[in-house]
Amino acid sequence: MIKTLIALLMLAPILFADGLPVKIEKPWLQAVPSVASDTAAFMKIQNLSQASIKLVGGVTDIATHVEPMITTTQNNEGGKMLGMESVPALEIPPGGTLVLKPGGKHLMVMGLKSHPKEGDRVKIVLLFSPGNQKVDVELAVLKQEPK
Amino acid sequence: MSKSIAGIYSGLAFVRRRFPINWRAFITAFVLVLTLLASFLLIRYTSYRSVQAKFYGEALVPAKAAYDFHLVDQNGKAFQLSQLHGKLVLFSFGFTHCPNICPTTLSDLAKVYRALPDKARSNVQVMFVSIDPWRDRPEVLKKYVPYFDPSFIGLTGTDDQIAAAAKAYGATYEKMHHPGEDQDVYFMNHSAFTYLISPDGNWKLLYDFDLLNDTEKIVADIEHVLAGG
Repeated sequence: MIKTLIALLMLAPILFADGLPVKIEKPWLQAVPSVASDTAAFMKIQNLSQASIKLVGGVTDIATHVEPMITTTQNNEGGKMLGMESVPALEIPPGGTLVLKPGGKHLMVMGLKSHPKEGDRVKIVLLFSPGNQKVDVELAVLKQEPK
Repeated sequence: MSKSIAGIYSGLAFVRRRFPINWRAFITAFVLVLTLLASFLLIRYTSYRSVQAKFYGEALVPAKAAYDFHLVDQNGKAFQLSQLHGKLVLFSFGFTHCPNICPTTLSDLAKVYRALPDKARSNVQVMFVSIDPWRDRPEVLKKYVPYFDPSFIGLTGTDDQIAAAAKAYGATYEKMHHPGEDQDVYFMNHSAFTYLISPDGNWKLLYDFDLLNDTEKIVADIEHVLAGG
């Protein structure tokens, strides 16, 4: 009996790791027409833990790749030009919040296998490091950023 | 060196002898020119301020005649901006493989379009000009642009036609290949402005990407321009 309890207590940190302490707000996926190959996922991710974590990507049934991206701004002949850059990870400091929004950091959902319509809901498993920690998120498919 | 300086001095002395300066007249003229210049700048500035005060978007003061681009529409037909004379036109540059900026821009513009009163809406045309003519052929645009609103028009063209249109509106873009990857795999970096052309064919306003989500303010700008403001 005591042995089982000790064993369970030893398992506890692993169980905790399975439910990474993050708070996710307003997750949504940009609805795109069927001719589009890619779209983007947006949300706010708050790190409730005492340690820094990194969002490294995701897995979903609707696309082949889910990658963290940043939006870059460069000045070209006096004009502001926006671009995208794939990054290995987006870091969230302890207590910090990562904001993924149009025109900013986002998760690019590449190689769409299906095109969810506005009002649908899709699942993405977010991957965090250190470790290979997974967090399931259900996203609303929207044409417009929610207020 | 010293020889040439001496030369300049003797030259100046010659000019002074031939044309004695009336200092009073000179200073009066100088002050007059300065006053005229200052008032000209002040007038320009106050007119800019008074025009800008009326609009949410960045105003072009004075408004520029809109460059009449020649492109190809989503049905494969030749298209000129001047065909829409009499309508207020809102357009932006982008590409259909764009996952982030372009769908957001088109969704924001669709929201603005739907928020317009019926009468105003019938006088407004929204367009999307591709800066990726290699992939965005008319048939691709036809499946992409009307998704956001059935009335929206997608435009493409030859490299040169698109380069000319972009240049005229100060839009910039460049192809970005991923190192080591297939040449067909690329992104487009591009400027993300929306341009407002008045029904009389003047480029009046400019919206940066992050201004587009304030639907009511853009609706107010459109109504103001339609009213001749």
